[in-house]
Amino acid sequence: MTAADPEYGHLAPLLTEYASLAPDDPRRDAMRDELVTGYLPVAQHIARRFAGRGEPLDDLVQVATVGLINAVDRFSPERGADFFSFAVPTISGEIRRHFRDLGWSMRVPRRLKDLHVAINGAVSSLSQGLGRAPKPTEIAEHLGVPLSEVLEGLEASEAYRSSSLDEMLSSEQGSATVGELVGAADAELDRVDSRQALRPILAELDERERTIVLLRFFGNMTQTQIAEKVGISQMHVSRLLAQTLDRLRNRMDPDTRVG
Amino acid sequence: MSDWDSHPPGEPSVVEVRTSATAALIPTIRAVASDLAARADFDLDAISDLRMAVDEACATLVDVAAPASMLQCTFRVHAEHIEVHAHVHAGSADATVSTDTFGWRVLQTLADHVEALRQDSADSADHVGPTVGIRLDKHAGMPPR
Amino acid sequence: MLDPTKPRPSPGPGDLGVTFEQPDARHALLVVEGEIDTLTAGSLERALTELLEDPSEVLVIDLTAVTFLASSGLAVLIRAAHQAGERRLRLVSTARAVRRPMEITGSDQLFDLYPDRAAALSPEV
Repeated sequence: MTAADPEYGHLAPLLTEYASLAPDDPRRDAMRDELVTGYLPVAQHIARRFAGRGEPLDDLVQVATVGLINAVDRFSPERGADFFSFAVPTISGEIRRHFRDLGWSMRVPRRLKDLHVAINGAVSSLSQGLGRAPKPTEIAEHLGVPLSEVLEGLEASEAYRSSSLDEMLSSEQGSATVGELVGAADAELDRVDSRQALRPILAELDERERTIVLLRFFGNMTQTQIAEKVGISQMHVSRLLAQTLDRLRNRMDPDTRVG
Repeated sequence: MSDWDSHPPGEPSVVEVRTSATAALIPTIRAVASDLAARADFDLDAISDLRMAVDEACATLVDVAAPASMLQCTFRVHAEHIEVHAHVHAGSADATVSTDTFGWRVLQTLADHVEALRQDSADSADHVGPTVGIRLDKHAGMPPR
Repeated sequence: MLDPTKPRPSPGPGDLGVTFEQPDARHALLVVEGEIDTLTAGSLERALTELLEDPSEVLVIDLTAVTFLASSGLAVLIRAAHQAGERRLRLVSTARAVRRPMEITGSDQLFDLYPDRAAALSPEV
């Protein structure tokens, strides 16, 4: 995609003109609308690349559009670079920040996470030495921290767990979560031009299996949503998708054929 | 050095919790049990056992409680053990704490001592059915030799 | 498919987080999150019933994110172990709140216990 692209070619002079307008020029709004509308497919294309990570495509397109508006406003043609080499990172950056902000609100404070890990470690080694479970004072002494901190840590581990703490802890232990493994298979599929590869296999599936695959990969629905729509259990959807993925993998790369 | 050093030796600290007799409030009573046991420097297994035992006792009593009545749970924190006394006003005259259930057997395993209590209604106009309760004791750690 | 980057809301009181996964052809996995007590034991029972219907060779229950296990939950697990018959259920858990009641009641003997999910799903066992 370049400025010479016939699809966007007509926008380049408009962009140059927009950049030259004074801040209070009455033509700004109309011109900006035309530019954003004209370049919108770029934003949508980038948004789609981030789809399938648990955020609805609509939200991603909205965020991408904000990025595009910022790019249009901040672009200066005299810098030499063409608009796309400036706009694409601006839009992607906006989306990445969106995901980071989401994660932030769920993230457990570092202090509590460290405390959790420290306490677990202390309990482990103390239990071995004592031949029984340790007491809070023993843990505090071993770690060299105030008793109140240990009490806080113990209380937190009994309370509802934020899933991000859970994930951070399992990555601490070094075990790959199943979600990561399954996500890798999904990503593998996305990389291929899945529509082409899927076509012959889709033809082999029965109607329900075909519906499930289409809803998952093109409708971007979660397994639970698909289960509700198709009228079967989420477990069943999971199983059918795993089977289909398996067949796809075998079909696409004969060298990796299993069994 | 435990949290409880400041109180006169020999005298237990007493904590009373009174809630509506509904399962949704039992997590709160569990949290109180855990907190008291941790501050009394119980070892982690004893804390876990007490928490589960208190949950079991409360769940059993909530089952037989009269509608819209209260669950009362009193903790007496001694140096090396905690005594828990929970009771409700039962919904029917023949209500008792059943001691041949799986739950009761688990309770006996968790606690160092447990007993079912029952008191027929007094002349009080407050409630009609009997007062039904459970008392349990838990030591701070490995039982004294 | 379960997405690790998506912030899942934590289960609150009376909620039990229950998710099914099929990590591979051999294993069916049930992931449980939250507290298992009288309010939520029924949800656990329904989830286990569904898991037991799965034809996979190995059934795994991940209790890593379970912060409390009441006797009602223990009873549900024991029943499931009996219903599983030939297929011994695999439990993943390290939390004292789960391990301790299972150890002192001897019900840990009814399951194969693993310290983490990877170990439970390992192809060698």
